[in-house]
Parts: sequence; C-alpha cells; structure tokens
Amino acid sequence: MKRKPTSFQNEQTEINVSPLIDMVFILLIFFIVATSFVNEIGISSSYKDSNSKTDIERPPLSFNLPGSGQVLLNGNQIGLEGVAPKVRTFSTYEPPSVIIQVSEGAKAGLATQVMDQALLAGAKAVKLTVVAR
Amino acid sequence: MKLRRRSILEEEDESINVSPLIDVVFILLIFFIVSATFVTLPGVEVARPRVKNASSLQKNSVLFALSEKNQIFHAGKSVQLSDVPPLISQAIKDRDKPVVIQVDQWADATMLAKLVSEAKKVSPSVSLATLKNR
Repeated sequence: MKRKPTSFQNEQTEINVSPLIDMVFILLIFFIVATSFVNEIGISSSYKDSNSKTDIERPPLSFNLPGSGQVLLNGNQIGLEGVAPKVRTFSTYEPPSVIIQVSEGAKAGLATQVMDQALLAGAKAVKLTVVAR
Repeated sequence: MKLRRRSILEEEDESINVSPLIDVVFILLIFFIVSATFVTLPGVEVARPRVKNASSLQKNSVLFALSEKNQIFHAGKSVQLSDVPPLISQAIKDRDKPVVIQVDQWADATMLAKLVSEAKKVSPSVSLATLKNR
C-alpha cells in the first residue's frame, strides 16, 4: 500500500497523445487529398535533332500523312498495316530513322499509331514534322 | 482501500489502447508523404489514341494536353504554343522532369508536331500519353 502514491504519479506523467493524433490525422488527410496518382502509359519519340552527315548518307524513311487520313510512302498508299513491314525491310543492317510528315487535317491519333507501328518494327527514332506548303 | 484500487484499475483497462492505431496512421502518413508528387494536371479530358507498344512513363512529369479543338492546356489553363517552352523550363527548374503530352486522337497532327518540337527545345524527353490496345 505504500507504493500507491508512486503509481498514481506515474499515471499523471503519461503524455497525452490525443493532440498528436489529431495533428497526424489532419496531415494524413491532407496528403491523401493532395496525392494525385498520374499513371500514364505512352510512347516516346526519341529523335536526335542533329544535322549529322550520316543522315544525308542514309536518308530516313519518310511517311506522309495527308489530310485525307491515308498513310503514304513515296506517294503510294500503304495504310497503317503497311508501316511496320516497310520499316523492317528498309534496311538490313541498321534500324532506320523514321520521319512522319503530317499535313493540315491529319489526325493526331493516326500519327501516333504510325509512330507506334514504326517503333514496334524497330525504328531507331521517330520524328513528326509538318509538311511545308 | 482495496475496493478503490480495483475500481481505478478497471477504469484503466476500459480505455482503448491507441498505440497500434497511431502506428498504422503514421505508416499511412509516411506512405502518402513519400508518394506525393504534386503533379499539376492539364485539366482537360482527352481521348488518347490506342497503340500497341505503350510503356509506362515516369510519374513525376510536366503534363500538357492537346484537346480535340487543337487547344493546348497546361495546369488547367489554355496556353499558346509560344508559351510552351517557358512553361516547361519554369516547371522543370533544375530537376530532370520529362514532358508528357496527352493528345486527343482527333486533334490535328500538325499541331501535335509543332507542340512536340516546341517541347523538345527545352526538354530532352517528350512522350505521348496513350492507351494500351485492349
């Protein structure tokens, strides 16, 4: 029974954690609300914008996207399915660079799909350019 | 004396032990602090084109959106093409953040080409956001 005062004192000195919990909860809610999980998937068009001499030596494969929604290579319509075979057979020893020349009215979705097909077929780099009129 | 002591003990037993709760809340808090990247969304919903070989892009990136009506959006506002390079350099500062363009599949491809080339002026990595094909 003599110990009782000390045990009582021990209880008194215990830290009150309720304000701490309140604060932590507020922080937690703030970070939950502020966190926006942006989980994008996509394609990257890596193109070294160099005017190196090798480009002149081996001209890159150039697709044309006119406003009518076709895919042209050297003036021949090849369609979206024809892109990958052309990229594959263009060069035997080196994956080609691909330039996609788009005209006014061509849809970005088609351009993206052509880029995708070219990259799928192993193109080294893909670049979008606007056709100079 | 005996009775009183017992009642105090009982009272203490009745109060809920909050230490595990605090532990869990702290773990959640640390998780959300670490995962918070504070990405400013472009503020417009676009119909992304579907492609075959889409890969996961880096999460902490500067986002631009090209809408169906060929408007460029960044951080909830419509911006001009000429404003894009300063906006990117302002957003990336010294860190190496890639640029991600959310393009609508019905947007004009010439606009996309111009936007990509503008972005390439200041950022080495420019990607197009797409959807996985099925």
